[in-house]
Amino acid sequence: MHLLTTTRDTLLAPLQSVAGIVEKRHTLPILSNVLIEKQGERLTMLATDIEIQVRTISTGDLGGEDASITVAAKKLHDILRALPDTAEITVNIDDKRMTVKAGKSRFALQTLPAADYPTMNLPEGEGTRFSISQKLFKRQLAQVAYAMAQQDIRYYLNGLLLIAEGDQLRMVATDGHRLAYAANPLEAAITRTEVILPRKTVMELNRQLADTDDTLEVTLAGNQAVFRFGSIELVTKLIDGKFPDYERVIPQHHPKMLAFDRVQLLSCLNRVAILTNDKFRGVRMVLEDGRLRIVSTNNEQEEAQEEIEIDYQGDALDIGFNVTYLLDVLNNIGTESVEWRFNDGNSSALITLPGNDTFKYVVMPMRI
Amino acid sequence: MPSIKPLSDLLINQIAAGEVVERPASVLKEVLENALDAGSRAIEVQLEQGGVRRIRVVDDGCGIDRNDLPLALARHATSKIATLDDLERVGTMGFRGEALAAIAAVARTRITSRANGEPHAWSIEGSDLSLSPAALNCGTVVDVAELYFNTPARRKFLKTEATEFAHCDEVFRRVALARPDIGLQLSHNGRVIHRLPPADPQARTGALMGDDFLAQARPVDADAGALRLSGLVSLPAYSRASRDAQYFFVNGRFVRDKLLTHAVRQAYQDILHGNRHPAYVLFLELDPAGVDVNVHPAKIEVRFREARAIHQFVFHAVSRILAASGAASASEPLSSSIPNHAQGTQTSVDLPPSPPPTRYQAPLRSYGPGPQAMESANHRYFDFVAGAAAPGNAMQGTSNQSGAPAADVPTDGAPLGYALAQLHGVYILAQNRSGLVLVDMHAAHERILYEKLKAVVDGRPSIQRLLIPAVLRLDARSMAVAEECTEVLVGMGFEVAPVGPHELSVRSVPTLLANAPIADLVRQLLDELGEVPASEVITARRNELLATMACHGAVRANRSLSIPEMNALLRDMEATERADQCNHGRPTWTQLSMSELDRFFMRGK
Ligand SMILES: Nc1ncnc2c1ncn2[C@@H]1O[C@H](COP(=O)(O)OP(=O)(O)OP(=O)(O)O)[C@@H](O)[C@H]1O
Ligand SMILES: [Mg+2]
Repeated sequence: MHLLTTTRDTLLAPLQSVAGIVEKRHTLPILSNVLIEKQGERLTMLATDIEIQVRTISTGDLGGEDASITVAAKKLHDILRALPDTAEITVNIDDKRMTVKAGKSRFALQTLPAADYPTMNLPEGEGTRFSISQKLFKRQLAQVAYAMAQQDIRYYLNGLLLIAEGDQLRMVATDGHRLAYAANPLEAAITRTEVILPRKTVMELNRQLADTDDTLEVTLAGNQAVFRFGSIELVTKLIDGKFPDYERVIPQHHPKMLAFDRVQLLSCLNRVAILTNDKFRGVRMVLEDGRLRIVSTNNEQEEAQEEIEIDYQGDALDIGFNVTYLLDVLNNIGTESVEWRFNDGNSSALITLPGNDTFKYVVMPMRI
Repeated sequence: MPSIKPLSDLLINQIAAGEVVERPASVLKEVLENALDAGSRAIEVQLEQGGVRRIRVVDDGCGIDRNDLPLALARHATSKIATLDDLERVGTMGFRGEALAAIAAVARTRITSRANGEPHAWSIEGSDLSLSPAALNCGTVVDVAELYFNTPARRKFLKTEATEFAHCDEVFRRVALARPDIGLQLSHNGRVIHRLPPADPQARTGALMGDDFLAQARPVDADAGALRLSGLVSLPAYSRASRDAQYFFVNGRFVRDKLLTHAVRQAYQDILHGNRHPAYVLFLELDPAGVDVNVHPAKIEVRFREARAIHQFVFHAVSRILAASGAASASEPLSSSIPNHAQGTQTSVDLPPSPPPTRYQAPLRSYGPGPQAMESANHRYFDFVAGAAAPGNAMQGTSNQSGAPAADVPTDGAPLGYALAQLHGVYILAQNRSGLVLVDMHAAHERILYEKLKAVVDGRPSIQRLLIPAVLRLDARSMAVAEECTEVLVGMGFEVAPVGPHELSVRSVPTLLANAPIADLVRQLLDELGEVPASEVITARRNELLATMACHGAVRANRSLSIPEMNALLRDMEATERADQCNHGRPTWTQLSMSELDRFFMRGK
């Protein structure tokens, strides 16, 4: 049976969008397949790892008959990629096999029936909906995602808290040592809805979202979230758990405030980090009248020191931090300057952006 | 020699009490069991000062007749059995008619009870058996005050209030686990410790053993003829340093029976390290005639008529559950294609080495700029050293590294050579000048961590303070241990503080273990500390505690490591003293030389 004939990229582009989540070593063989549905001019591709499902819909002149089938995503992808980009591709399905033909190349692939493919049902009911520019959402993700935990037994930390409330979209992530918070305005009045997106979903969104002003439409309903952007629809299950109360963790009244040029501070830390102890990655921030010294020592007793002039008068203060936690935040906020608030050597430090409260980063010190 | 005189009744009872009433907890056990035998639906326990000052148990059971009240306090008087035949198939907890008499001999005891249909309740005083009318709606109140008031020698053997309370709590928990259908409440010094409404067995077990256990446990339900085994057993991942989370009930009676313990232990044999213990709550039901409960003064041991068959049955039932879930849980495929943006590095798909490298995923747009990517590449292994719980770090290897053909691997320089691959998530294969090196990655990493911990703890350990403290649910005994050993824990980098009667919060961790599973780790340290009686012994056992920490912090089997991570581990081994053996004395690596391999393949010559 003739399924379709079209250009290579008509098939490859959607396949690339969906195939990223296919697990390579899954216990269910069909999950390494992609579901291909052809209906007239409409071509749907869908892949899932049970937790996340990505679907693309494209239209074009495809010819052939209508059918649905599943085939190994990676193999089809590799074949298409390796063919010349000008190639015209003809796909046939005969006797449970899919044949892909292009010029003098011919590939016959095993298939599994489309009816066996586990697709996720879309959430029922209205749920909470809002839309936002892809670029803004992506930037907001970037501002907090690095603070997510990885494989923590407190499973709710292995994800990102998303809160839509009123005309604001807030994101929070923490691994128990530090916490990042970012807010964006929304053009809607939404009743408070909060969900925890799994880590893999966050990474997939970051991979797929474009740096454009095109809209991203978000629906939160039941234990699912749906993201629609471009030709892509991503459905994800949510982490069912109670995220820590982030507001309690963000300090309100730290007395000491310093302003820094972000790039200057980042480069100082990058240099000092070279001689930190491999295991601890600790740097000491020593505040003295008019200057900040950043100091590190390693196992071999080698030392690094950086000095930054600051506007500070008061008691000397010596605080240790895991330099990775500081580099993470400075690398991921795209502003020129940052504000830094301290209390004492045992309590958290708060990093914010000057003149707005849309970003907050709290990090606990370490004793070196 | 003085002449022989019969003992007074009081003295006889006091001597007998020595067997039955060892400490407040044993009083509580007897009185609770009586309440169960009376068919109660709700039981309330009030303790004062660890039960030494007072144990008061209020039940809503059948009550005791006015005329029977004096008999309840008499020795060898029971309503539960009458003939030897009854004894051989006893279905109640009590049968000796001994407990209350023994208790009344060593404590100020008062029983108030109202049997069904009586116009009002009666109260009896244990010392003189005097009866007086009393007010009570139904059921029985047993009030045992000032234990050992008349036997000061025994009073001396009582431990601190916290310890005695912990034992009472344990008795209460056993009853609560065995009888989820009954509502139970325990308070101590006026504070409610447990409030347990009737629940299904699973919910009750969760309430008492903690959600961590529930999440890591698998249900058992097997039967063979009149034998039935049900309950929950922990997966190997949730193991303990002591046997304190093992509950075995035979026909509703908590027992500590070697045969049963052994059968369960054997089911865990290959999947649990020798000094780790599984956690379980298991209920064995069988025909009462098949088990003799009258072999131990506290009825804590039993004897089975068909011991072998029971052993086999229990062993197979538990093995089957572990086989079905155990393998999967121990080898959860941790690999997935999640790129680690947190570090700003770029990741390709981590397929097993299959050159030429495929670029299946579109290249990632990374979050951060470049310099840090370099940085974290250098520290990747150390991230993983500091955190067995962060497998994401293990996936940062770039595909050209993991796909590098063996020919490119250098062979000179490093004694342990350079990594080629990982075998079944357990061994690292490396190539050195003389041939193949095989490394047990967990054992090696454990050793390295242990040596590092020792070096660090000798001084003042570097600690990471926690923004979100880890909160552990603990039983009363562990809470008491945490309180007693706060300084020891602080010395090792764990700042702990109680935040509830059963909750302990951990506010800092040693930086070396910053990403280890904190809750498990601290729970286990407390288990071990609890086994050490006095504080000076703790210093002597410090190394054992560090070993435990190392074991927890060390990379687990089935964590996939990238080639650079494996190489970093090899270099760390070379730099660590005594790295050739793990903390348990097993070798950490071995060499297969080229000539040995040649001989095997009958090559050359
Ligand atoms: N809470 C109670 N409600 C009703 N009857 C009770 C209660 N407590 C005790 N009794 C009665 O008092 C009797 C004596 O109790 P006691 O605990 O001394 O002996 P037992 O339970 O028969 O045997 P054992 O010594 O093995 O516990 C019981 O047989 C029972 O009839
Ligand atoms: Mg009794």
